[in-house]
Amino acid sequence: MARTASPARLVIALSVAAVLAIFLLYTSIAGGGNPSLAPSELAGRSGEVQLAGLVVGPVAGDAHAGGLTFRLRDIGEKSSKAVSVRYAGSVPDLFKVGRHIVVDGRLQGGMFVAEPGSMITKCPSKYAPKQSGDPA
Amino acid sequence: MAELGRAALVVSLGLSVYALVAGAAAAHLGRRRLAFSAQNALLAAFASTLIASAVLLSALLRNDFSFTYVARTTSEALPTAYTISAFWGGQEGSLLLWLLVLTGFAAAAVRLNRGWARDLIVWVVPVFGAVSTFFAFLLVAVANPFATQAAPADGLGMTPSLQNPYMLAHPPLLYLGYVGLTVPFAFAIGALLSGRTDERWLVATRRWTLVAWTALGIGQLLGAHWAYEEVGWGGYYAWDPVENAALMPWLAATAFLHSVMIQEKRGMLRVWNVLLVLLAFSLSLFGTFLTRSGVVNSIHSFTQSSIGPWFLAFIGVVVTVSLALVFWRLPRLRSPTRLESAISREAAFLYNNLLLLALCLTIFWGVVYPLLSEAVRGEAVVLGREYYDFFLRIFGLPLLLLMGIGPLIAWRRASLRSLLTTFRWPTGVAFVTGVVLLALGAGSSVPGLIAYTFAAFVVATITLEFVRGTRARKALGATSWPGAFSSLIARNRRRYGGYVVHAAIVLLAIGVAGSSAFDTVAEAKLTRGQTMEIGDYRLQYRELDERIAANATEIRAELAVTRGGRDLGTLEAGKNAYTIEEQVSNEVGIRSDLLTGEDLFVIAEQIDPDGTVYFRVFVKPLVNLIWLAGLVFLLGSLITLWPDAREQRRLVERTREIGVPATN
Repeated sequence: MARTASPARLVIALSVAAVLAIFLLYTSIAGGGNPSLAPSELAGRSGEVQLAGLVVGPVAGDAHAGGLTFRLRDIGEKSSKAVSVRYAGSVPDLFKVGRHIVVDGRLQGGMFVAEPGSMITKCPSKYAPKQSGDPA
Repeated sequence: MAELGRAALVVSLGLSVYALVAGAAAAHLGRRRLAFSAQNALLAAFASTLIASAVLLSALLRNDFSFTYVARTTSEALPTAYTISAFWGGQEGSLLLWLLVLTGFAAAAVRLNRGWARDLIVWVVPVFGAVSTFFAFLLVAVANPFATQAAPADGLGMTPSLQNPYMLAHPPLLYLGYVGLTVPFAFAIGALLSGRTDERWLVATRRWTLVAWTALGIGQLLGAHWAYEEVGWGGYYAWDPVENAALMPWLAATAFLHSVMIQEKRGMLRVWNVLLVLLAFSLSLFGTFLTRSGVVNSIHSFTQSSIGPWFLAFIGVVVTVSLALVFWRLPRLRSPTRLESAISREAAFLYNNLLLLALCLTIFWGVVYPLLSEAVRGEAVVLGREYYDFFLRIFGLPLLLLMGIGPLIAWRRASLRSLLTTFRWPTGVAFVTGVVLLALGAGSSVPGLIAYTFAAFVVATITLEFVRGTRARKALGATSWPGAFSSLIARNRRRYGGYVVHAAIVLLAIGVAGSSAFDTVAEAKLTRGQTMEIGDYRLQYRELDERIAANATEIRAELAVTRGGRDLGTLEAGKNAYTIEEQVSNEVGIRSDLLTGEDLFVIAEQIDPDGTVYFRVFVKPLVNLIWLAGLVFLLGSLITLWPDAREQRRLVERTREIGVPATN
């Protein structure tokens, strides 16, 4: 059929190919993102990861001098297994014991050393009712 | 009272089901009176949803805490304006608002178009009925806003950061946008069902799509401005899944608004347009699913609830049924014309569409990637900011350039020589701008430099268009230059309104590039009297104040600011400690330079008991152009939307010409 000669199809096919090429290029260069883990899954990991957990006290130190230290445990589970975290840099408003936070970093000698400024806190459940076990 | 609200919702559900079933039967069997009654059912569904909404609103205003919803979202002390905003603050209320807007839009769209497109409308009604049945069912069976309880003494109140004027406009505008996309969807499906696959459904829904798209765009910019001023981390967009959820349907709708013009003028891209509408509508449903189901980690955490699976199922049904319909109607969707050259207006619009869609889909991929990698590799991998920034540059910069090329290139077939003549001036302007900026040191960011060069190119083409058009009108006998200018716009609102919107996007691009590629940051721990410098700014930390406000303790560090030795007055940055909510919030200090659009942005990150403060300071060049872009965008949309009887008549006539041979 003559329709196959339509430049529209050629254009679409070429564009799709171009997009795929860019995509492959990107994933091969950047190697995708970091795995997102809970504190209990951290043991034995040496690479860079994203750690999401619930802040457990005591919070000590100065985020802008030497770093802040605290512990993180799994969200939602009763597991008491927690990991120590050292963090420097900007601390979001909502950071405190009992909040859910996300930090990037890597495990170094039993301590999770976070990248400076990588901390994100989750908003306290927007308009949701207070949940039992939510100390905030 | 709660019983009245609930009863009204049940009635809405019944009427929606009737509109679906009776409407489909009437359309299939060709019963005019039954079709009419199905249309009236849609109208009545709007009325009963309005009653339900009035009940909820009055309960909110009366602080009637026997309504579980009211007790959960408000408190006695909450100002009235925020009490009203609690209507869309919670999940049940926002679903109710969704149904209200949906039935309202459906009733209006059907009434406005039933005169001239009757055989199309009979099939549109059951589609509206199906969508509103879904939402009414959710409200009646899954997320009931009228649940009651023994009234507590006071409600739980509202998160402080949401007690903000932006929250009065930002969420409802997004809803208006999401729901508004239902109208073109319903008409597209109606066109497929009826077999009237000509351009009429486009003419009928053009303004609806524009309204939805404008609301979605402005709603997102308001959200960005809120984040910039209130959340205070120095940015305005974080590629968070919930933000992306609003951006994706906007991009799909942008692609649709462009490709529609090709179908109207040349009858091409019919399948493509139907698919774009389907995509935009599904993405707006997907956005709601994302925010409500909590499947993806987001900084926004909404009530996580049981409606997620319902949405997923509904999206599945919508996509499957629509694709099956498109496939069934493929023979009728054949274009009578086709692309003649890869250098033409049509082709430029096609490139624009492909780029917008590519951007939209890469964002989609980024949003669902954690879910997919969890399913495949067993661990969730999150794609960060670099991923999105990379693709924004790869697809966004060519889009910016096309914005200058597309509107000026000839239809059907353009010769290279004519291109050279047309774009001689804009290319020259872009080249000179690039060289000047390079000399000024903008080469520190290559993407930023490219963005500015392309922006200059687009501005030059838009200016050229306005100058040419105004000259032509003057030559045709307009009495004055301003007269010629306004008659130019009035005679072709769509085209020149479109140029104004393009100018807004250019401003946005300049603002985004300036504030992200050329910003500077400095941090310092200061005791009283000490100073820090950033760029030509010099900030001296003067003193720390503590004030007791109605619901919070406000701590403010006062800074004296000078630039190049010139006194710029003082700036305050600090924190509010909310007593009841036990929350602290950053209150940033922003000094905007209205002449250059530059912001000095000061965060008091850490305030020690001895009065030392850790400051983080940004200088963000041109960031105010982003907010200005919002105003220009609105202006352009209004010009395009302004009712124009002559243009509508022209479109209807043209559709008749193209439509008849194509459908028979």
